[in-house]
Amino acid sequence: MEQFFNTYFDFGIMGDYFGDVLNGFWWTIRLSVFGGVLALIWGLILSVLRQLPGRLLSPIRILAIAYIDALRGIPMLLTLLLIAGGLGTLASQDAIPKEIGIPNWLGYPDPFWYGVMALTLTYGAYMAEVYRAGIEAVPRGQMEAARSLGMSHGQAMRYVIVPQAVRKVIPPLLNDFIALMKDTSLVSVLGFVEVVQVGQDVYSETFNPSALTLGAIMFLVFTIPLARLTDWLIKRQESKFERGIP
Amino acid sequence: MTETILKVSDLKKSYGDLHVLAGIDFELNKGEVVCVIGPSGSGKSTLLRCLNMLELPDAGRIELHGNEIYGGGKPKDLDVLRREVGMVFQQFNLFPHMSAKGNVTIAQDKVRNRKKKDCDARSIELLSEVGLADKIDEYPDRMSGGQQQRVAIARALAMDPEVMLFDEVTSALDPELVKGVLDVMRNLAESGMTMACVTHEMGFAREVGDRVIFMDGGVVVEQGDPDQVLGNPQEKRTKEFLGLVLSH
Repeated sequence: MEQFFNTYFDFGIMGDYFGDVLNGFWWTIRLSVFGGVLALIWGLILSVLRQLPGRLLSPIRILAIAYIDALRGIPMLLTLLLIAGGLGTLASQDAIPKEIGIPNWLGYPDPFWYGVMALTLTYGAYMAEVYRAGIEAVPRGQMEAARSLGMSHGQAMRYVIVPQAVRKVIPPLLNDFIALMKDTSLVSVLGFVEVVQVGQDVYSETFNPSALTLGAIMFLVFTIPLARLTDWLIKRQESKFERGIP
Repeated sequence: MTETILKVSDLKKSYGDLHVLAGIDFELNKGEVVCVIGPSGSGKSTLLRCLNMLELPDAGRIELHGNEIYGGGKPKDLDVLRREVGMVFQQFNLFPHMSAKGNVTIAQDKVRNRKKKDCDARSIELLSEVGLADKIDEYPDRMSGGQQQRVAIARALAMDPEVMLFDEVTSALDPELVKGVLDVMRNLAESGMTMACVTHEMGFAREVGDRVIFMDGGVVVEQGDPDQVLGNPQEKRTKEFLGLVLSH
């Protein structure tokens, strides 16, 4: 028992490396925020493209569906490696500008941005499906009422359907965000020193995983309250509709 | 001289083998109130929904002011049509994330491009006219069905339509709330609005309607003066229907 405890909870190591782990976690947070916000926007765009009406726009619809299916069907690790490997190579061959192929925006290193791209592309696809469920849950009469007032399909989506849909899907989007936050750890394969990579580095130095434990605790400090918030929001939504005892 | 606003000729619509509209001819003149009655499944709601293309007909012709809006293929000038034709639904279909004023304002702002000040003034005016001056900032889920339906009427009127379509607008209401909505419609009729109402309110049809159309099986069985059609129907099917409706 003591051995177990000393292996995973070596407070000496945790104390010594606390600053490094926190620094790594700060990158994790930044990856989550950039990736999360962009995925939210990209997902909404995808879901709206997927719902475009009419035969004329069906190629766009089909492309959107194909994209969503593909990105949900590929492991994010693979997407990440394809982006990092591909963009870097293309840039070194001058096929695309260096600023895009090896991005250094805001002074953040290129693995960070490859990570943000992979998170956005992958979780955008997941979130598009969540938005779609929300859009489809808005009663048909809402679209009819909006159109009967002379609104275009776009106006009806923007002012009537999407605002209602987004409200309905905040809890499942939060769930996706929690998953996204955990998947930021995949960027460590590019040698990017987010929290997991820091933990690994400390482990190689000390042969003790306590820094990884510390990283896990830092994750839980964020993910558990988010999970509770999600549950609370779901409960609140349900109580709005169901007043009786089922 | 009567001015025809909407003219429908040989309108057809079917779902598979079911011929919901089997060739409807029908005119709506300026200032006229036409009440469409008939058993459920007779196609009366479908007819109304075809008039503003919420339901696309299969064949026939619809003219607005003599201009063809629908001629068998794709509808033309859909925007013009929908701006000129207001619609009120059985289930109200208010936008739940907007206040009463928001509901009445949104299309004025985004479709008519009115100035915000003008939108607000018009919304308040209309909501007062339907007796909801004290509910301007209320949200739909805090209003009764009758109040919601009156907001829906104000919302459609805000576009200054030439024609108003009412699709069984009192059918989802508790009995004591029906009168408030019918009173609003009565006032509207008196103000000269052109109206087509699908309704089960025979009293309303008789008192307010200029013409009653009885539909069954996707065709117009009988039409004419309300006292005539409702009081002394000529067709067997009309008699049967009225016998069932008026006997309880």
